[in-house]
Amino acid sequence: MRIKSLAIAVIALAGLAAPASAGAVTLIGSGSVAAQPVLQALFATYTKQVNPKVKFVYTANGGNAGVKDVQNGTSQFAGNARTPLPSDAGTTYIKMFMDGLCLDVNKKNPLKNITIQQAHDIYRGLITNWSQVAPGGLTTTIDPVGRDTNGGTYNFFLQAVLNNEPPASNVNALTADGLVQNAVKQDPNAIGYAGLAWQSGVKPLKVNGVPCAANKISVEPLKYPLSRYLFIVLPGDGSSSPPALKKFIDWMRLSPLAGEVISKAGGVPAFNKKS
Amino acid sequence: MNEDLSPEYGPRWSDQRVERMLGALVCAVVGLLLAMIVTVLVRAWPSFSHNGLAWFGPGGSVDEQLNAIFLSGQGGAEYIYTFHAWPLIWSTILITGGAILIALFSALFVAVFIVEFAPEWMSNILQPVVRFLASVPSVIYGLIGVVVLVPFIGNHLVTEGQKESVAGIISLTGYSLLAAITVLTVMIAPLMVSIFSDGLRSVKPGWLEGSLALGVNRWRTTWKIGVRTARPAIVAGTVLATARAIGEAVMLAMISGSVGFAPNPADGLIFIFEPSRPLAPTIVKNIDQLSSPPANATLFAIASVLLFSATLFSLTGWLARRSMQKYGSA
Repeated sequence: MRIKSLAIAVIALAGLAAPASAGAVTLIGSGSVAAQPVLQALFATYTKQVNPKVKFVYTANGGNAGVKDVQNGTSQFAGNARTPLPSDAGTTYIKMFMDGLCLDVNKKNPLKNITIQQAHDIYRGLITNWSQVAPGGLTTTIDPVGRDTNGGTYNFFLQAVLNNEPPASNVNALTADGLVQNAVKQDPNAIGYAGLAWQSGVKPLKVNGVPCAANKISVEPLKYPLSRYLFIVLPGDGSSSPPALKKFIDWMRLSPLAGEVISKAGGVPAFNKKS
Repeated sequence: MNEDLSPEYGPRWSDQRVERMLGALVCAVVGLLLAMIVTVLVRAWPSFSHNGLAWFGPGGSVDEQLNAIFLSGQGGAEYIYTFHAWPLIWSTILITGGAILIALFSALFVAVFIVEFAPEWMSNILQPVVRFLASVPSVIYGLIGVVVLVPFIGNHLVTEGQKESVAGIISLTGYSLLAAITVLTVMIAPLMVSIFSDGLRSVKPGWLEGSLALGVNRWRTTWKIGVRTARPAIVAGTVLATARAIGEAVMLAMISGSVGFAPNPADGLIFIFEPSRPLAPTIVKNIDQLSSPPANATLFAIASVLLFSATLFSLTGWLARRSMQKYGSA
């Protein structure tokens, strides 16, 4: 009796898994937290409106971790928020869309503008009080919040702001963009950095006088100083990837529909044709 | 159940076969455990052999060392293994020790109350509540810590003067010893309460009745006879809770703070607001570095220290229980 019910359970489980393999494709990806909101929106639209047979599974474990997943074959693609590094050997980077890395403060903080140099000094522990940033604002100690080394955003910040010098020990390194956003939301003295898609409840600062807004994000010519491309990372030279994945990437990069989805979800379309 | 009674049932599941099958299963489990320990130690060996006993000592910044280890070896350069884990070990000792101490006393009194003093309807409610609390996944405690406790400590308990005094070295934002110890205590105390109260309940009623009959009051009877007899269960509960606390990674990674800083009791009250990072969360936070051989060895070395301390605790627990067994069984 017991064996019978066990067998029924096993068959039922197999039955659940079966429809997935009937002509449909599941693409497995991981990586960038910064790209996650936009990617999820793109996946949902693609499955609903373009090709219902393609399903996506995406784990936001950080861009650097995602590239490792692609290198050892556990993911078919990865999102990443930084340009390729020597340690990424054996992978291909394709530009997906653009994003701006905003420097955020709490809404109670009257500060409006910050320079790259000031951000550098704060995250290197050289400036520790808000009065050193701008007169007439807060006079309290700064609580800098950043990402841990799992994130591609961390590397981008390291290259673009810190001149590749490591952040100071007073920077609280958190594991996800959402946690950074949460920390800045809760602490009036905090400063943090996160992508355009993670800006609710916090106040993005102007950087060198340019606001962190979708219409100012541009890499060539550079307008907002912390503009960046978000990349999709494929194993090898990309030719061994499943055709369904290649079709999705072309759709995402070029179609007007994908462009609309990207801007709605907080990204900036880079190559999409205007509809 | 009818099939169990079929004629086949007897010979197919004879005692001999069951004995052999279970024996093989036990051997497999023990083998697996040994293989695991050996793997961890072998992988950890390069890190220990390069550092010697200095591995456990203080010296330099742990985070910079971890970063240098991870980046070493790129482009054919030599691997770097230099690692001094003291700030991580010290943080583990402070957080685990603090939580165990607080949890031990509070859990003991709660267990005594539930078993001996609470009216029946109350212990009928408390019992399942405690068991439920003991099985709540640690991430949930971590979430509550991040959303409620950490901002409360950062915005209301830490003063501007205290923050300024350590500015540039560490940030006192609420990610702190205090938050970590508080949440860890709440996490392990229910586990202790449920094991302690099982122990107290299995004290022979005759022993307690004898004491009461001699005119000893109820509190003294419970304390001198009940708790004393239940000591093996108390040790067992404490050991189990310690093992859970030492290995706790996710919750502590969320709220203990993220710097490898050794909080210094000589700093005064500020000390409990200082951030730190224990051993287990260090593995979680650096998990993406496993592909670099020296970083791999270092993380496995941390794992082997955790494994070793867990073994040590269950051994001391077993020894302590054995020497206490003469007071009665529990």
